[in-house]
Amino acid sequence: MKQNDNLTKVIIPIISILVAFVIGGIIILCLGKNPIKAYGYLFSGAFGSSRKVAQTLVIANPLIFTGLTAAISYKCGVFNLGGEGQFIIGAIASIFFVTKSGMEGIPAILLSLLIGAASGAIWGAIPGILKITRGLNEMIVSIMLNYVAALFMGYVYTTLLRDGSVPQTYAIPDSTKIAVISKNFPIHWGIGIALFLAFAGYYFLFHTSKGFKLRAVGLNATASFFNGFPVNRYILFSFIISGAVAGLGGSVELHGKQLRLMDGFGQGYGFDGVAIALIAQLNPIGTAIVAFIFAVLRKGASTLQTGMQVPTAVVDIIQALVIIFAVAGTALLKLPSMKQIFSKQSVKKEGTNKWKLF
Amino acid sequence: MEAFLNWNFFVELLLSTVRMATPILFVALAETYSERAGLVNIGLDGIMSFGALIGFLIGFRTGNPITGIAAGALSGIAINMIYAFCTIKLCAPQIVYGMALNIFAPALASFIYRLSFSDTSTLIQGVSMKAVPIPVLSKIPIVGPVFFNHIPLVYFAYLLVPVTAVFLNRTKAGLNFKAVGEFPKAAETLGINVTLQKYIASIICGALAGIGGAYLTICYTSTYSEGIVAGRGFIALSAVIFGRWMPTGVLLACLLFGFCDALQIRLQLLSPSTPYQMLQMIPYLCTLFVLAFFGIKKSGPKANGQPYYREER
Repeated sequence: MKQNDNLTKVIIPIISILVAFVIGGIIILCLGKNPIKAYGYLFSGAFGSSRKVAQTLVIANPLIFTGLTAAISYKCGVFNLGGEGQFIIGAIASIFFVTKSGMEGIPAILLSLLIGAASGAIWGAIPGILKITRGLNEMIVSIMLNYVAALFMGYVYTTLLRDGSVPQTYAIPDSTKIAVISKNFPIHWGIGIALFLAFAGYYFLFHTSKGFKLRAVGLNATASFFNGFPVNRYILFSFIISGAVAGLGGSVELHGKQLRLMDGFGQGYGFDGVAIALIAQLNPIGTAIVAFIFAVLRKGASTLQTGMQVPTAVVDIIQALVIIFAVAGTALLKLPSMKQIFSKQSVKKEGTNKWKLF
Repeated sequence: MEAFLNWNFFVELLLSTVRMATPILFVALAETYSERAGLVNIGLDGIMSFGALIGFLIGFRTGNPITGIAAGALSGIAINMIYAFCTIKLCAPQIVYGMALNIFAPALASFIYRLSFSDTSTLIQGVSMKAVPIPVLSKIPIVGPVFFNHIPLVYFAYLLVPVTAVFLNRTKAGLNFKAVGEFPKAAETLGINVTLQKYIASIICGALAGIGGAYLTICYTSTYSEGIVAGRGFIALSAVIFGRWMPTGVLLACLLFGFCDALQIRLQLLSPSTPYQMLQMIPYLCTLFVLAFFGIKKSGPKANGQPYYREER
């Protein structure tokens, strides 16, 4: 049974991605273009040279962070939809630090990343605290905080740290840029942090007792409570950790890629992270892989548009279809009637409490 | 500060409160129907953005705002059927599917928009609805212009509140409907078709949320831009919780959020020196504060958010 479970967890995302690609191909066909040629453009855009692969990784990097944010909180049964806000707040804190403190070099980067992670954690703790103390729906709170964070960022780049007439902040000092791995493979070392976090997250969730308890709280909070687990503390903990990951992501994105804040920074990364985590069945390593696939789609989309005049939004639809199929596939296998087909064991009621929210 | 005491300021403020509360009210009522049948749909933002686009597009092509609104409703139903099928038939987690709609529907909307207007950056002016003052009543000072001089859709939204209240509390069909959200198993034994009721709830939810979206592009801005919904679906979701799943409560909550929206716009015009981002935060912060003060843990339909496995005992 366990083997079977693990197998489906890998197969479902793969099938979903393939089916979404087929439907994407049909859409491209309907636009009067050759889908095979289109996918050729898409993949050559993402993998055509080592430079292109590096650029794809640069796109994947923030998505890994927000994907992990979503995965960690959902594993604990709470829905942190505020990845975008926490990402932005992390970047805002970092840019204030590096432009105002006057520190330079590696120490400045490290301290700035730490400050970014801490601010993200604080921003992420708000929905957690409100959920525990006031019983508020964490999804609504975290979404509202996304808008507040984005508007505050607007205030920062139009007023507080505005650089001249353009609505954007000052750039970070040159010495605080995160270095790239090599000239021919221009991806900044932030990807190392992202991948480390993915593996660390996997280890934490599946190979430590704290991680086990966190998952137990996510599966059945009532049972965990009666087992003596401090449920509320785990919920708050998962919010803080996931917020810290998002905040760190924002800070890394600022130091490694964007170098300044401007309109659209971090926009949509939160929801993309949610989609990625769900497709990856909340597995941290899977999250990194799915984030990379999303990045391939995005990097390839621009080549597709310039090469064949296929609108980049096709790629958005493929992404959205992947999540719809992946979740439907998982749900389908959980149905009592399907379970009987797939296993000879008796069907027991399970997981009905898992998604209860209000 | 003098402008604050100005009579016109208040009338204008109340007028736009009523106007800004309308889309939230449509969507909040949509969610009320959905949650009363036990379906938590957090995909309202997605449904709205799709309804907003299709409403705008059809309105623009036909030149008739009413066709646009109807198209918005139909497209809302269509997109919500994905959610309905997966959550009712496949018993998929509702929150996850709501999120899926939030990601899928805006992507589809921007795709269709780009296909229809081939990446033009100029804003395309669509149709808009004309206000229809109600005779006699609209002549009353203050109350008249605030409540009785609106486009027909606004009257429709406010009329839906008593209709929903009577339906849910005074009719057999409505009580059956609510039973599905409270205790589906018992409802099934009483001969209520739970699955059918849930589908009906999804159809009503999709239609109303689609109209709420179309309201934004046809009655509010008469242009379409990405991100036009701006989290109103989630504000509506909190209005349902704040309004205790009762139509009148939901109405009051929507008026409060509409007031914040209206106040924010008025203040922007009134004091250009205040950073506009700070003022735009008002509706979101207000939602947070209201929920933090009035949010109570246990209320709402008992079986809300739970999948219903019909074969299971």
